[in-house]
Amino acid sequence: MDNPQPTVFEKELAASLSRGRTLAVPGFAERVVGAVRAERRRRVVIRWSSVTTAAAACFVAVLTLSTPSEEALNREALALVAGDESATFTVLLSAGSDLALLSPAVEKSSVVELFNLPGF
Amino acid sequence: MSADEIPLPDDEEDKRLMGLVAAGDDDALRLLVHRHHPRLVGYLRGEVGSQATAEELAMEVFIRLHRAAARWRPDAKLTTYLIHIAHNLVLNEWRRRTRKPTTALEFTAEPGDLTQRSARRVAELDEAFQRAIAQLPPEQRTAILLVVQQELPYEEIAEIMGAPVSSVKTWIHRARGRLRELLKDFYEKD
Repeated sequence: MDNPQPTVFEKELAASLSRGRTLAVPGFAERVVGAVRAERRRRVVIRWSSVTTAAAACFVAVLTLSTPSEEALNREALALVAGDESATFTVLLSAGSDLALLSPAVEKSSVVELFNLPGF
Repeated sequence: MSADEIPLPDDEEDKRLMGLVAAGDDDALRLLVHRHHPRLVGYLRGEVGSQATAEELAMEVFIRLHRAAARWRPDAKLTTYLIHIAHNLVLNEWRRRTRKPTTALEFTAEPGDLTQRSARRVAELDEAFQRAIAQLPPEQRTAILLVVQQELPYEEIAEIMGAPVSSVKTWIHRARGRLRELLKDFYEKD
């Protein structure tokens, strides 16, 4: 594939290309170091901004999770209402009043006592 | 990195400098760039034809080298590694130019210190070669530049281009033939 005796073409091709083999650029190393430092600074900024973003996201998540949801609040309210004896008593009283209206002869207190009997 | 140190062989010195670069030593990076940039810019200028683009790409090569310094393993010569990165950037550059064909190639002859008459002939010839090389398909251009300009062995070129040695030889053979054809006006009697 390679000619044993290079022709004029081969020689001039090699000469022409070898003239551009090395091209030293004054100050190039400084430019590279400058670019690398700039990139390093950029990476630090990106790293810190992503850390800050992640921390902010965590903070918001903690706040959101520690606040009870609407459903949980409803459940809690219902449980309180269910466990409230005064509410039960009020229900009984109002039932007693209704019966008293229906039959004025019956004493309201006796109706309440009736409802409070064990096994009622 | 004092001047009193006994100079190491090129490969060993490259390894040592790369170790320092990985540790964040900017002086080592500066030295490494100083050692390798002339050849890299020469190769890239041959590939893209423009000094400004060649410098821009060479800068990117060194930035990538710096990023990869911690992961770099001295399996191959640093020169091969650098030209391999440069070759990939060149491929991207040519793809970009294919998409934006308005970008013109800027071939200019390098000034020499020869006599005026021969300098003119050399300048004409250089320009003709550069224009002819620019017309080669990318693989042929890279292969001919690496073998003739950078004087790299076929095996190293194959490694850089990620191709078998046989393909490299074929590309070089075809490139020579194509260049001869493109420059037939200069070499009719040859």
